[in-house]
Amino acid sequence: MNSLDLIRDFAKNHGNIAPETVVPEATLADIGIDSLMLLELLFDFEEKTGITLPKDLPNPTTVQDLVTQLDRLGLQPTSGS
Amino acid sequence: MSRPRRVAITGIGVGGPWGSDADALFTRLLAGESAVALHERDEDHLAISIPAVHWSGFDPLAELGTHISTLDRSGQLGLVAARRAWAQSGLARTEGPDPRGAVYWGTALAGTLTFERGYREMYVNGRRRVPPLSLLLGMNNTAASHIAIEFGMAGACLTYTIACAAAATAIGEGFRRVREGRSDVVIAGGSDSPMSLGVVRAWEALRVLAPAEPHGAAAACRPFASDRAGLVLGEGGAALILEDWDHARARGATILAELTGYGCSSDAEHLVRPSARGQVEAMRQALADGGMTPADVDYVNAHGTATPEGDPIEIDAIGQVFGAAANTLPVSATKSMHGHMMGATGALEAIICVQALRQGRIPPTAHLETVDPACEGVLHVRGGALERPLRACLSNAFAFGGSNAVLAFRRAED
Repeated sequence: MNSLDLIRDFAKNHGNIAPETVVPEATLADIGIDSLMLLELLFDFEEKTGITLPKDLPNPTTVQDLVTQLDRLGLQPTSGS
Repeated sequence: MSRPRRVAITGIGVGGPWGSDADALFTRLLAGESAVALHERDEDHLAISIPAVHWSGFDPLAELGTHISTLDRSGQLGLVAARRAWAQSGLARTEGPDPRGAVYWGTALAGTLTFERGYREMYVNGRRRVPPLSLLLGMNNTAASHIAIEFGMAGACLTYTIACAAAATAIGEGFRRVREGRSDVVIAGGSDSPMSLGVVRAWEALRVLAPAEPHGAAAACRPFASDRAGLVLGEGGAALILEDWDHARARGATILAELTGYGCSSDAEHLVRPSARGQVEAMRQALADGGMTPADVDYVNAHGTATPEGDPIEIDAIGQVFGAAANTLPVSATKSMHGHMMGATGALEAIICVQALRQGRIPPTAHLETVDPACEGVLHVRGGALERPLRACLSNAFAFGGSNAVLAFRRAED
């Protein structure tokens, strides 16, 4: 599973957010992922990958920001959407 | 001197296994239909199997969308109830926060499922951490806070944790707020989902849970009956929209009933053995607060949990308040069908009172075949609903710890 798929999967299962709205240019706030949901998402990421996120991870604004961060941490790079 | 403010009920909503609205709930109760079923969970060495009311068909994601990450099951049931009550009221959410709106909520064990899950992960499964929102999900005031956020209720957001009297107390205190002119609208009610494994074990240890046999799970809760054997746990949410009467009239709202009085007292005697004296005090306060006499009351929705000790004490207390008239006073204990929803139960039973006043029909105490001689002295509604015009009714809620809350309602009339 790549980063974008993980975000889409989480958004659907935790927020009933349609996967097609989770596109790189969308802001997380606009699609309904607030700071609390983001915490859950990052926890979910750690659970699925076994990767421990750094405590100083910058707050992402867009889906692409988050994809970039997760890709950098070891998920398969996302190729397109 | 201005005339006293009156408090209208303009919306009622339930979250539980009764269909989409309070009419569906009431229809089932009038028919004597129990929502109690065998509730079974088997995890590690902690299998439980008890009669209980559990909303097995509840789909939080479909019902609530994005809220499921920040609400545990208890709060989810509460938010469902609040949304349904709000929708019925026809109120429009204000553009920004509304300082004239408030939330008054009740719960007994709000976060029990969340905290148990966390402890289980650590102590049973050997994990070193818990999901990041565990604390927020488990707080007692989370449901009320969500409701305040969703509907912009910025005047106050208060949560009462008074065991089985939590929601009734919340409604009563919210009622006072409206009557004092501090709010035009209060969303009041309660929610609980108390069937965590540990809590069930704790109830079992107290020896007050009704067994499934010999009557079957659906008929396990038998208030006032000679063969009653204890209470049945339930989960759910229930909410009422309390609104200043003139505010409701000015916007053309349908007024379902009037909340006229509230009484609360403390037994100050014992943690679990109820006191007729304390219950009498709360009922008399509610009547006096509502400008009512016992002769005005046509129905009492009893606390009636079906414990051997508690039921006769409540009947004794009703007898003391109503005197000889108690013999012809209709009384029913609807927990026989919806179970004991802990901190939410007072709100659900308040809704049942509203529905009874609207329809002129009283739901029965189900499964009441033989009245215990110790519980005689009132007109037990049993064997089917009782149809008659109702002017006013009382709803009793008595909690472990000795806290009592009684609400008085009138049929909606200008």
